[in-house]
Amino acid sequence: MPIPVEYYLVLSAVLFIIGAAGVLLRRNLFIVLFSIELMMNAVNINLVGFSRFHENMTGQNFVLFTMTIAAAEAAIGLAIATAMFRNRRTLMVDLFDVMKG
Amino acid sequence: MVEKILFIIFAFFAVVGGLGTITRKNVVHALLMLVFTFLNVAAIFFLTQAYFLAVVQVLVYAGAIMVLFVFVIMFLNLRTFEEEEQTHRRQRWVALLLSVLVLAEFIVVLTGITFTSAKGGFSPAAIQAAGGNSHVLGQTLFNSFLLPFEVASVVLLVAMVGAIILVKKERGANVATGAWEPGKEPTPELTEEEV
Repeated sequence: MPIPVEYYLVLSAVLFIIGAAGVLLRRNLFIVLFSIELMMNAVNINLVGFSRFHENMTGQNFVLFTMTIAAAEAAIGLAIATAMFRNRRTLMVDLFDVMKG
Repeated sequence: MVEKILFIIFAFFAVVGGLGTITRKNVVHALLMLVFTFLNVAAIFFLTQAYFLAVVQVLVYAGAIMVLFVFVIMFLNLRTFEEEEQTHRRQRWVALLLSVLVLAEFIVVLTGITFTSAKGGFSPAAIQAAGGNSHVLGQTLFNSFLLPFEVASVVLLVAMVGAIILVKKERGANVATGAWEPGKEPTPELTEEEV
């Protein structure tokens, strides 16, 4: 008795929106990075759920690539955070306004 | 039936961990909540019979990436910057409202669709007969996805070189006034004049 694919969809949507809300609401650069990781995990849940539902291995293979990109993104993000902290001595993203964005 | 109940339990804990991640003031607490979410997602992968991915989720995500985050947080000595001044008060409510709206939209749309399985030939029984989840995953990865796999290795190499270059101190350029050194207590008042 497999788990219905709608369960995966709803869980993934909820986690994704939590991540998006975290990016919008929080000002700490680390929390923003955590939220991005959360969103990537929500997508992974979706891929694995559909891989099981369609009885197809492509989704699970794709999750491996998503994890690769997440690792690369974490490394680069942390490097940028370190460089920014070295220059500005803060990690509040609101204060990173050199480009007047 | 048991699977469904377990799924709902793990999903509930994953959502609790996610909410904790974006509400904790302390960065380390938020990180621990995120690890909790990742472990629950790994349990969900187990329930879905994606055993290899469940192990990779624990090893790579909850293990390696989160340890990297802990290292950088400790390295930057962030304790002095826990309080988070909210400069855009109105943005907070608009963001919250939009998030809830998009979530409602997702749920309405996604639960309104009836999906039909494409039956790709990798049913649990077929996977079991072919040697298990890891075996089949490896075979498809190195047959159908060999080029993407190699490209992923290049992406990781580029990320590694990029991270080193971003963090590396330029020779002779570190004497800028009060440049921050690891281990030295950061001086927040310097930020004011810069900003």
